[in-house]
Amino acid sequence: MDAKLFHIFRNTPLGRETLLQSLYFCKQADATPVVYIPRHTKFLMYFENDVVQVDLDTSYLTAPGSAENHAAELLSDNGMDPDFFQPKNFTASTLPDIPTHFDFMCCPRSISDLSSKIGLGYIGPRVRRIVNEAHFPVLLTSGVFKPWKRIAVLFGGSANALNALKLGLRLRRTSGMPLVVYTLLEGKSEEDYRSIVRQAHLEDDFERHGDGWHFFEDGPIEENLYDIPHDALTVVGAFGHGLIKDMVFGSMVEKIQSVLPNNLLVVGPKYTSLV
Amino acid sequence: MAMLTKIRRHPEKWSLFRPGDRILLILIGILVGICSGLAAVALSRSLFATLHWVHSFHGSWWAFLLPGIGAAVSSLFLNKVMKEGAGHGVPEVIYSVSRYGGLMRLRSSWSRLISSWLTIGSGGSAGPEAPVVMSGAAIGSNIAKMFSLNERQRVTLVGCGAAGAISAIFNAPIAGMVFTIEVILGEWTALNIVPIAIASVAGTEISRFLQGNNIVFDHRQFNIGFVDILASFGLAVIAALASILLTRLLRQMPGLARKAPLPIWLRAAVGGVIVGLIGAAFPVVLGEGYHSIQAMIDGVFTPGMLLVAVATLAKMLATAFTLGWGGSGGIFAPSLVVGSLAGLTFHRCLTFIWPAVPWVDEGCFALLGMAGLISGMMQAPLTGIFLIVEITGGYEVILPLIIVSAISSTVCQYIEPASFYLKELVDKGQLLRPGTDARVLSDLSVHELLERDCICVTRNMLLRDFVQTVQKSHRNFFPVEDEGTGRFLGIIHLDDIRPYLFDPGLYDAVILEQIMDHQVEVVHPEDELPDILRRMDERRLFSMPVVSNGRFLGMISKATLLDRYRQELRVQTQFIA
Repeated sequence: MDAKLFHIFRNTPLGRETLLQSLYFCKQADATPVVYIPRHTKFLMYFENDVVQVDLDTSYLTAPGSAENHAAELLSDNGMDPDFFQPKNFTASTLPDIPTHFDFMCCPRSISDLSSKIGLGYIGPRVRRIVNEAHFPVLLTSGVFKPWKRIAVLFGGSANALNALKLGLRLRRTSGMPLVVYTLLEGKSEEDYRSIVRQAHLEDDFERHGDGWHFFEDGPIEENLYDIPHDALTVVGAFGHGLIKDMVFGSMVEKIQSVLPNNLLVVGPKYTSLV
Repeated sequence: MAMLTKIRRHPEKWSLFRPGDRILLILIGILVGICSGLAAVALSRSLFATLHWVHSFHGSWWAFLLPGIGAAVSSLFLNKVMKEGAGHGVPEVIYSVSRYGGLMRLRSSWSRLISSWLTIGSGGSAGPEAPVVMSGAAIGSNIAKMFSLNERQRVTLVGCGAAGAISAIFNAPIAGMVFTIEVILGEWTALNIVPIAIASVAGTEISRFLQGNNIVFDHRQFNIGFVDILASFGLAVIAALASILLTRLLRQMPGLARKAPLPIWLRAAVGGVIVGLIGAAFPVVLGEGYHSIQAMIDGVFTPGMLLVAVATLAKMLATAFTLGWGGSGGIFAPSLVVGSLAGLTFHRCLTFIWPAVPWVDEGCFALLGMAGLISGMMQAPLTGIFLIVEITGGYEVILPLIIVSAISSTVCQYIEPASFYLKELVDKGQLLRPGTDARVLSDLSVHELLERDCICVTRNMLLRDFVQTVQKSHRNFFPVEDEGTGRFLGIIHLDDIRPYLFDPGLYDAVILEQIMDHQVEVVHPEDELPDILRRMDERRLFSMPVVSNGRFLGMISKATLLDRYRQELRVQTQFIA
């Protein structure tokens, strides 16, 4: 168990739900949670070709005295050793640098927004940049802790979608939960999508570990999302269409996130698959 | 559109740039130089207009509040609107170059321009140079990011931005170039010197195009005699002491400010009001102070020797209160003012003690004092020399200028081994200059050095079974794990069990738990290599187990580290060559 999930802890009931969700994810993905209790409302993440400043809202600094105990309690309840992250480097005295070598990162949906929009809303520009630059996938948790019992991969045929499928298969192996792939045909045939999987040499793996492939034949993606089980971790590739297309038609991930309250695992273009 | 995106993302694949990346860097360097020059001119012109406007209120009884209001608004803007961390700019640029290959936030390309305009424009004692350096560097970094350039190229463009900005604000291309190489990058290489020089020219040309080809301080002829050159040794020491005093005041003041139980913006306001009060007695301390410098160079600065000496201290305090209490700006301009005041004081002392000696005009000593302070504060003698030569347009002071700059920086280095800009980075071990051990090691990680070919054994294993395991392994270390949980428990070194190996009677009587080393010094994947090496040296170890979350990952050894170190050094020096 060498994989690590980076979690920013918020010492509030909402933060507790998010941490519980992260811990559950860690158990299923065979990962270790690394918990950061912020002392400042902002931090920097230096990626290979971008630096992202994350501005947290002040609720992340709630009751700092009890934050560590609360987090440690939740960790030990789940049979995990507390591993609290302490920043070593600071760009400015109030601006810590957070390493980017983790295997997963949990971004509560309010990380770039007010908590009034928690649950459903939009992926903020910061999270979007993290997803675009990170080697790790980003876990966007549901508002309230809800154990997921299956894995749903949304596969649209792009390179990022292939990464999402690889990650889904990896999670299938570690968690043992059933994996179903969902695809919106978008004018192509089923065979077109199957050949993409074949060309990526994932066919055998999918045959062995996949539990079905569901095709949506018509309608926009939002109208088909009802078919995705409510207790599924949804794995999706992010921002594969390019900036202009996203700006004109909207990003698929944004649409999915605004409709689907499930836990969402977003895989960016620089994700390094461990398959 | 797709083609444009392709060129932007992969400019090196464009046929023009295929022979090498130097042409690419030079062309983008020109763009960076122009942009950073524009930023510098924008701040310079805004400050000129604002200071002129604010000057009209200086007769009012409430004028002392102006620097406080400016500093408070500046602090609110920087902390609440821009959500930037505190800092003066240049150390952040050096930190970014040192640690993250010059990656900087886009917001830094303009946030400090506005915050320093508010602070200095309202009368705060600070300079616009550090903000424009940060702005130019951030512009370079973000342009490099836009073109998806690699780390070395990005660092060069950060340098181009800094050079373009300094060149534009002082109309001094050589000083911009030298400052960048000497202070920001800390390396002269064939790869970076040409684009930085070109960016300096671009920044200067933009400044000349928009503001005219004016030197910052009007040129005056000085007839320097041998006694003046002798006196410059004394001035160098005075300048060094003034540098040390200003450096220490600037370092101590934030600690003092933090003791005040006030919000950040109110703290800045308090600091600003104190500056306003000092300014009511000594107007020379207000703003960037270039007018006062010109008066000193021209020899028309009227206050007497004692008043000038007190004004020197007042300027230092005003600068420390402005920057230490939350205002925004840099130390370049205050250093020039303090230096010229120190030079003037020294000259008046000399003429007071030896009135019969034909000393050069006091303006010359003001220039030398400026060079001494710049060289001392930044411990960058070349920057001091070239800056003064360029901003005064005079070459005749070059000999005493070299003496003052060289001695001042040497004395400062003796008393304070790290310059004002570098001190904090050095203290935190974050200054990673190219080609140094720290830099090479920072580019390697524990994961890259892991030796995973160790055979793990369990604590209940019999010695007999272990001997068979040893026969299969070519290593001397055997990590011991718990059978059930897989947790790392300790290690067995062949040397430790040698006495048991030659006594077959013990083979079925001893289990590994009895002979393993439980108190093993371990390494974690997130540990930094200089720390690991230090621990190895202290404990005379040649290898250590790497453990993560209680599980053994592999071994890290000095031999592998040295091997990878050499490879990494070769890569880095290949770029430098």
